[in-house]
Amino acid sequence: MRATETCSYSNNEMSDNRRTLENYERDPKRSDIHSGARAKAGPMVSVLIPTFNRPRYLSQALASVLHQSYKNLQIIIVNDGGEDVSDIVHCCDDPRLTYIYRKENRGKAYSLNEGLTRSEGKYIAYLDDDDLYYPNHIETLVHTLENETDSQVAYSDLYKVYCNLMPDGSRQVLSKVVEISRDFDRFFMLYFNHVLHVCLMHRRDLIEKTGPYNEKLKILIDWDMTRRLVFFSDFQHIHQITGEFYSPAGECDRMSVQQRKDKSEYLRNLLTIRTTRPARPWSEIEDMSIIFVADRLNQQAGKTVGSIWRHTFYPYQIYLPLPEADFKRLSTDMPNVVLVSVDPMCSGTERVDAALARCDGMYVVIVPSGMPIEEMWIEDPLYALINSPVGREGFELQGSRDTLFAAVVRKDDLQYARKNFPNLSVPQSLKAAGITLRQPSFEELPFQFDHLLKHALLSEKDGNWEEAAQEYEHIAALHQNELWMKTLAAKAFFKAGNQTRAAKLSNEVNQQRPTIDTLLLEAKAERKKDSVHGAIELLKKAEQILIGQTDCLVPAETNRW
Amino acid sequence: MGVTQESGTEEHNCTQHYEVLQELGDCYTTIGNYEQAQHYYEKAASLGPDEPGPYVGLGVVALQKGQLDDAEIAFRVACRLGPDCAKAYTGLAMVSQQREDYQQAFELYMKSLELDSDSIAALLGLFQTSCQMGSFANVIHYLEVYLNMHPGDTSVMFSLAALYMKDRQLEQSKKVLRDVLALDPGNQDAANLLEEVEHRLAQKIQMQR
Repeated sequence: MRATETCSYSNNEMSDNRRTLENYERDPKRSDIHSGARAKAGPMVSVLIPTFNRPRYLSQALASVLHQSYKNLQIIIVNDGGEDVSDIVHCCDDPRLTYIYRKENRGKAYSLNEGLTRSEGKYIAYLDDDDLYYPNHIETLVHTLENETDSQVAYSDLYKVYCNLMPDGSRQVLSKVVEISRDFDRFFMLYFNHVLHVCLMHRRDLIEKTGPYNEKLKILIDWDMTRRLVFFSDFQHIHQITGEFYSPAGECDRMSVQQRKDKSEYLRNLLTIRTTRPARPWSEIEDMSIIFVADRLNQQAGKTVGSIWRHTFYPYQIYLPLPEADFKRLSTDMPNVVLVSVDPMCSGTERVDAALARCDGMYVVIVPSGMPIEEMWIEDPLYALINSPVGREGFELQGSRDTLFAAVVRKDDLQYARKNFPNLSVPQSLKAAGITLRQPSFEELPFQFDHLLKHALLSEKDGNWEEAAQEYEHIAALHQNELWMKTLAAKAFFKAGNQTRAAKLSNEVNQQRPTIDTLLLEAKAERKKDSVHGAIELLKKAEQILIGQTDCLVPAETNRW
Repeated sequence: MGVTQESGTEEHNCTQHYEVLQELGDCYTTIGNYEQAQHYYEKAASLGPDEPGPYVGLGVVALQKGQLDDAEIAFRVACRLGPDCAKAYTGLAMVSQQREDYQQAFELYMKSLELDSDSIAALLGLFQTSCQMGSFANVIHYLEVYLNMHPGDTSVMFSLAALYMKDRQLEQSKKVLRDVLALDPGNQDAANLLEEVEHRLAQKIQMQR
């Protein structure tokens, strides 16, 4: 083991931790690690474990990494100025461990950056100090990244474990639920996170493109990184449960949960993340240039720009063609602003032309001062444009009219129109160039999956279980997320009294990826059909998962490395 | 759009482990493995200390083993935890019935049916107790209510017909038995009872002449 700093320790509470790790010391496969026989069979994975004042759980988290079926690991524990955990680390006596101890508490982002700096693996994986990997976690992700996809990022499913914290500090498991199992959706990831860090693995060299963790953020640190990763790679979703993260009932001690309660702090972090643009070039996202048209930088213009800042989640730069006198009046902390100096007397069209000459996004938005800006104001028509198979087409924004023209078009189209018809207004020149403008239909809008899901959930709320079940089946057939939707459909059919359908669907899910929810559901349906022995078998499986006997989740095949 | 990370995710579910254990207890009870059933009900009780379900299960297990005192304690705990738990009152009624305290059993079955008029166990228990006591009026009402909700349940229809007969409502009894036989032509008990009802009706007519 390597340690940047060691310190003295004597702590009786560490006995539990030692016990957890003693099991590891007795593991006969450990000889492989010291001899290096299997350790070099696949690419190295660096596992980053930031920790702060949770020694009891750290030992369990660490044991879950040390027991991985995949052995070529570099395990970096970063103590963020918390309680001393060196005895936990030392008693492992494993050459793959690196322990970084820092006296001051500088936050999770800082710790992760410290870990990244020391990492040498081809891939990076993450584990919080109170969460657990199943033994196949790393192997599953590496196998997928090496053999099954061109993506440089992969993620698996995890159980969220609801538990009671007992007086002795142990965790009494109440439920294990796969709450988030969403297939990769780049547009959604720009809007909000759907991939937890603990189930993520990515190539280390991607960090050179994304940049390090943002140490100014207090919350949503993980999403900030996953959001930047989507600029450079697809994410491969592995529909397998490979670990657990814990959610104690009642008041949660997680700092991130506490900090989310401060709404203004939450909003500040959210806006920081949404306006963060990693250095270009981006391989997976096309840039958007917003040309803001105003005669003067007055109160109304300021309001519109502020609304754009608050309500835009697609990456953008905003171009402000203004007289130089107005530049000084601009707030200096506005991100992604490009100032374009223009003559105070020039027209709106001339301002667009001046800004267009500087734009480098593939998509250009023209938005005038006073335009009503709401959530999805640009993402709805932009998504339609991105997916439009028709050339020479643009989309007018909601609320656009003759006196307040607003639209999103491809930059090439706009340049063509302005070059060939410079004396016409912008909408006239587009028309003259044969570029049609229209409003997107409902089917062209983003987040179709979420809209349909919301509708099905409302049907459930109204007690229309059969209708909800059919909606879930429809979504599963057309909008990915098949296992998730089938699970919801099975539950709804059960509530509707359609045991046969509920049993069939939950059985289909259990064949592919058993969860406690679906095992319980299939068991109930079996019991209703008087198949009690079948129900017992399913319930026993569920019980095994609940008490942590996870062997049933590991494929029977031999180690692939 | 209003979509957040939480949208579409499942409800915060803190009862799953409890539910699995309770279901296992119920399954083992169904197949008569009372040792295993007791084991799982006890585990369920430790995870859901405020839930009446495991205590109802423990009561049923004790009842099956003939341990009436233990059964009574378990059902009373269940009643305290769930004052609306019809099964707990049915259990207590069964204990009273086995102790041949038919009056108390009758009252407890009635209480159970007030809470859940759908409870077939309480309904049949009430029927048996009524026969043992010779008092039918309330039972007839509950059986009629049940059949309004579950028309075609021939076992309850048969019980109702028997009660009509005992209550000397012979025409009513005959009608219900004919309905039973229309639904289940091979029902020998119904056929025998119908024969007896028709015989009594014939006697009645003769006496009136």
